[in-house]
Amino acid sequence: MDGILLKINGLHASIGGREIIRGLDLEIRAGEVHAVMGPNGAGKSTLSAVLAGKPDYTVTAGTVEFMGRDLLAMSPEERSWAGLFLSFQYPVEIPGVSMVNFMKTAVNAHRKAAGLGPVKASEFLGMMREKMAFVQMKDEFTKREVNVGFSGGEKKRNEIFQMAMLDPVLSILDETDSGLDVDALRIVAEGVNAMRGPEKAAIVITHYQRLLDYIVPDVVHVLKEGRIVHTAGKELVAEIEEKGYDHF
Amino acid sequence: MAERGHGTYIDIPVQYGEGVIVAGPGQTIRKVIVCRPEDGGGGAAVPEHIVAERDSVTELCIAVLPGVNADFPIAVDITGSGASVRISGFYICGADESVKFCIRVNHRCPGSVSEQLFKGIAGGVSSVSFDGCITVAPGADGTEAFQECHNILVSDEARVRIEPQLEIYADDVKCSHGATTGRLGEEELFYMRSRGIPDTEARVLRIISFLSPVIAFAGTEGEGLAAEAEAAVRRVVGGNV
Repeated sequence: MDGILLKINGLHASIGGREIIRGLDLEIRAGEVHAVMGPNGAGKSTLSAVLAGKPDYTVTAGTVEFMGRDLLAMSPEERSWAGLFLSFQYPVEIPGVSMVNFMKTAVNAHRKAAGLGPVKASEFLGMMREKMAFVQMKDEFTKREVNVGFSGGEKKRNEIFQMAMLDPVLSILDETDSGLDVDALRIVAEGVNAMRGPEKAAIVITHYQRLLDYIVPDVVHVLKEGRIVHTAGKELVAEIEEKGYDHF
Repeated sequence: MAERGHGTYIDIPVQYGEGVIVAGPGQTIRKVIVCRPEDGGGGAAVPEHIVAERDSVTELCIAVLPGVNADFPIAVDITGSGASVRISGFYICGADESVKFCIRVNHRCPGSVSEQLFKGIAGGVSSVSFDGCITVAPGADGTEAFQECHNILVSDEARVRIEPQLEIYADDVKCSHGATTGRLGEEELFYMRSRGIPDTEARVLRIISFLSPVIAFAGTEGEGLAAEAEAAVRRVVGGNV
């Protein structure tokens, strides 16, 4: 597999008959953090939605391989079991479902897919507590309904909490920095950084430099009009901040 | 008859007919009734008339499982101050069931409380109707009366009709009603699936959580009811009813 986790080739994707991704190529190796930056409407969120398998989007051409498997042939849950995680730009509220129930169901589904039995209650609660501390969530958090009444910062921390619980191979952070104050931003970034490793990779999708001051990327891409138009090292972030996206 | 908005209250004395349940002064009555198709629906156990006297507590919970056709008219007369009446229920319909509730709560004295909470799942070609009327008599000040009926549709052909009605002839009261019918949100389901929860599990989890306040209300008498309800929801979601 020569260390390639994700390989996107000539991807075209549309929603409601409108083409958003227009011939996108991207290759991500284990150990790398890639930043995908671009103006509004460039297709950043569409890219993350297509990778996670959101049903409203149609892939019209191209291939996506994840750890040697055809990602596009997999259901959203199969993608999760295979180690892909999307941190949502707008995390969804699930009324009535408590965090503890939600996470236990998710963790057990992952275990079942791996041929393991359900997690022991005490073990699970220990794990919850550890990961909650990781993103500075209070104890009452376990009883709260998923994202219901959460502040913007809490929702994003909840995404990172879930990421820590599911321990993915490839994390996609879709504008995780939007709506965060500096403290929440730091907590989120520290969470992401703690999960970096030689076997893992992340795609950080963002408008701004801000988050990338904390999560330093290995590779930076400019996404424009549905394609990657420029790729360079972390120095590109400063260039974008200075000159904007127009000259790419 | 009273008309909405500008009605006249007509005082009909409480009729103590056959099968009436009377919660006497200070008495507590709790009843959990589970209607299963194998028991012929179990509807015979549902009281048609409840009279709640001074400082009594009445709690009634009705669970209607798939395959049961039900028609439950329940009249409640609250005649004594300090009385409280809670009626709750859930119904799970996945085939061609017809489930009807018609609940009339009459607050006839000052200072009493009534609460209704109904939740249901309608799938297949089932039809659900819920008529709930709360009447607060003249002079029944300090009444607190609440009514909630919420439904999730899990098929295109199922029908839910809810008709809440409040007739209030006293000034100092707290009354509310809430009625909703909706589907499971695609965004919610995708969110859960993106965390590795399979589609069916996601639907079951969401529906069970939705019903759980009523299942919890069934309390200890409802032991085993949670598992039974979950199995029923699983059948309805999977289309195996």
